[in-house]
Amino acid sequence: MNFDLIYLVLGLPLLGFLILTLFGTGIEKTLGRYALAVVSVLPIVGAFAAGALRTLSLSAGTSAVVGGPDWISIYGLRVPFEWTVDPLSMTMVLIITGIGSLIFLYSTGYMAEEREYSRFFTYLNLFVLAMLILVLGNNLALLFVGWEGVGLCSYLLIGFWYTDLANARAANKAFVVNRVGDWGLTLGIFLIVTTLVAFGNVSDGRYLSYDAILPSLQDALQAHPILATAIGLLLFVGAMGKSAQFPLYLWLPDAMAGPTPVSALIHAATMVTSGVVLLNRMHVVYELSPVASAVVCGVGAFTAIFAALIALGQTDIKKVLAYSTVSQLGFMFIGVGAGGYWTGMFHVATHAFFKALLFLGAGAVIHAMAHDQDMRNYGALRKYLPITSITMFIGTLAISAVGIPGVFGFAGFYSKEALLGAALANDHAIISNVAGYVGLVTAGLTAFYMMRMTSLTFLGKEERWRNLPAQAMHTTDEEDHAHGHHGLGPDFKPHEAPISMTFPLIVLALLSTFGGWLMAQNGAFEKWLAPVSGPKLLGEVSIEPHGFPLAWISLAFAVGGLLAGLAWYRGGLPHDEGFDETRWGAFRRAAYGQFGYDALLTGAAVEGGAELATVLDRGVERSVIDGAVNGSVGLSTWAGRGLGLLQRGLIRSYALLMLLGAVAIVGILAYGAMTGGAR
Amino acid sequence: MNGVPMAAYLALGLFMFTVGVVGVVVRRNPIVIFMCIELMLNAVNLTFLTFARYGLNQAAGSDAARSAVAGQMMVIFVMAVAAAEVAVGLGIIMAIFRLRDNIDIDEMNLLKG
Repeated sequence: MNFDLIYLVLGLPLLGFLILTLFGTGIEKTLGRYALAVVSVLPIVGAFAAGALRTLSLSAGTSAVVGGPDWISIYGLRVPFEWTVDPLSMTMVLIITGIGSLIFLYSTGYMAEEREYSRFFTYLNLFVLAMLILVLGNNLALLFVGWEGVGLCSYLLIGFWYTDLANARAANKAFVVNRVGDWGLTLGIFLIVTTLVAFGNVSDGRYLSYDAILPSLQDALQAHPILATAIGLLLFVGAMGKSAQFPLYLWLPDAMAGPTPVSALIHAATMVTSGVVLLNRMHVVYELSPVASAVVCGVGAFTAIFAALIALGQTDIKKVLAYSTVSQLGFMFIGVGAGGYWTGMFHVATHAFFKALLFLGAGAVIHAMAHDQDMRNYGALRKYLPITSITMFIGTLAISAVGIPGVFGFAGFYSKEALLGAALANDHAIISNVAGYVGLVTAGLTAFYMMRMTSLTFLGKEERWRNLPAQAMHTTDEEDHAHGHHGLGPDFKPHEAPISMTFPLIVLALLSTFGGWLMAQNGAFEKWLAPVSGPKLLGEVSIEPHGFPLAWISLAFAVGGLLAGLAWYRGGLPHDEGFDETRWGAFRRAAYGQFGYDALLTGAAVEGGAELATVLDRGVERSVIDGAVNGSVGLSTWAGRGLGLLQRGLIRSYALLMLLGAVAIVGILAYGAMTGGAR
Repeated sequence: MNGVPMAAYLALGLFMFTVGVVGVVVRRNPIVIFMCIELMLNAVNLTFLTFARYGLNQAAGSDAARSAVAGQMMVIFVMAVAAAEVAVGLGIIMAIFRLRDNIDIDEMNLLKG
């Protein structure tokens, strides 16, 4: 087995995780936090270096499978530990380890006041390992291992401050909602294997390995398109869970209970995009099923606009970004559903830049504002946080997709235009054009709510936290756990974050500015991903709709949204968005409450479940089950009483019974002797 | 052999056994019950001796002398066991009498269900 750099990419986070698990607290006690930070960050930086080298050695248009020993080998099925090195997986590796390195560095500053420093980095290292297994694994079984691994780490990190019940609840919610998605994913995998066994032709028993099954699956599904639709829908249910699409997006906003670097890494840049990666891997299925593609497109478009509307009503800075993430993930699925699979990945990459930037910036603001997350207490922070405000403004421009067509644009400009173009120019999914227009409107909304956040946080003249009584303690998720800070009040003065936090912000701001432009040069990213994500059956998927100047219209929506946001919030916090919620408008109140969807579903699932349990308790448990148990008890008691009559303690009756028994035995023997003959 | 048929001995044994059984079942005095048990044992002894003497096993072709000795040996065993049984049983009855001043068998019913 030849050594491949890919083992280094996977091995270093594993090593980091093991060292931190076994010796983390020891290192912290003996060598100090600085040493622990080095031990935590180095494996990821090393993995990034190894991943970058491996990517450079990957010549264009090739993909390699790095084999390994068998993991499962029973009868006809063989599942080896094998890793796929191709443009798609290496793109994700670079995002995970590259953005991951920056976020790890940022965390050393952000979590510096934290008690359980080593536990945090242990989980983060484990997360990176699981995420790498997810994207690098060459079969669906390894994908599933990574899928569950990142889910576990997400659970552990959302509930990092587990002493607060709300955080523990949020972690549970994320885990439970993700189970629904995993149900779909597992059924999808089973159906793939079943289809291949029935109609396919897989030579060496590797029924789960991409390189073995994709050509065979294509032939089998061409003959049975209904199976393509079924598999496509089931896999998309899995993607909906992990990537927070409409019916199952509920867990992601609650997941903001975790530390902010976790929100940036797991719940914005990497884990939540694994649904898009899965659909890219298995895109042959969607090419063969316009129905499943239409569902992907429709769900994506609805999620995009729904989450964008909810974001308008949020007052918590992290919640705004959380709904923004849900909305942007919806965009990715619009592109994927329309057949432009690479456009989804393009948006994954640019979104990783600017959303990590925005989350880390929000973390710097929260850090500066004594862990208060309520934008109503912010205002005019540009004076105190110059680096944070400039980088976050760049992030806002990037997510709003601002750019001059043909000249230069921020990162989101190129990816959003590509996926909306794919939606408008193709008719593979019948509703993709509608989804494209919905996406355009949502782009305007995105610019508006991002400008709202920027205005409320950084712009204006009023420093609203000075209106709070001195040492006012607001209950926020992070407050109890931070030490050595002063509560907000008239004399509070925010301070800029340390260099370990501002450096990642600056790098990410540069990526958000130039990343999209670089990747779009001569369609570089499209050509790079074409061997994996390029359509096999659809032919050319254009991203330029005819007779529709998409770039200019998209720009108009973006700039319109930004200017509208700037105008609306130029006077600071409007009265109808203040702390007095009775003065809120009906729309804003509805948006704040997620239009009742969360309450409805929680009511249906949790309280409905309780109702069902009560009914079952009364109807089945107490009558049928208890009846059976008590009945058998009664029967035994009755039988015992009856038999007890024979056991009266009268010796003479025992003697009589013995006699009768003896007579019976003798009688039987005598009868046998007479009929059977003496022997 | 001596003019008395085998059936007469067996009939006597049966009669004694029946008397013993009825006595055990109907009487309440343990001493009498013991006597009845002895009667049953002796009925069995008589039956053993009868078969030994008249050589029932000749029909099966076994050695008549060995068969006779086996039957008589069994009687000796029964007598020995009966003697031991009476010794233990009377001891128990004495103990019960000292405890309760009463040896009515129907009142010894502590072990009822």
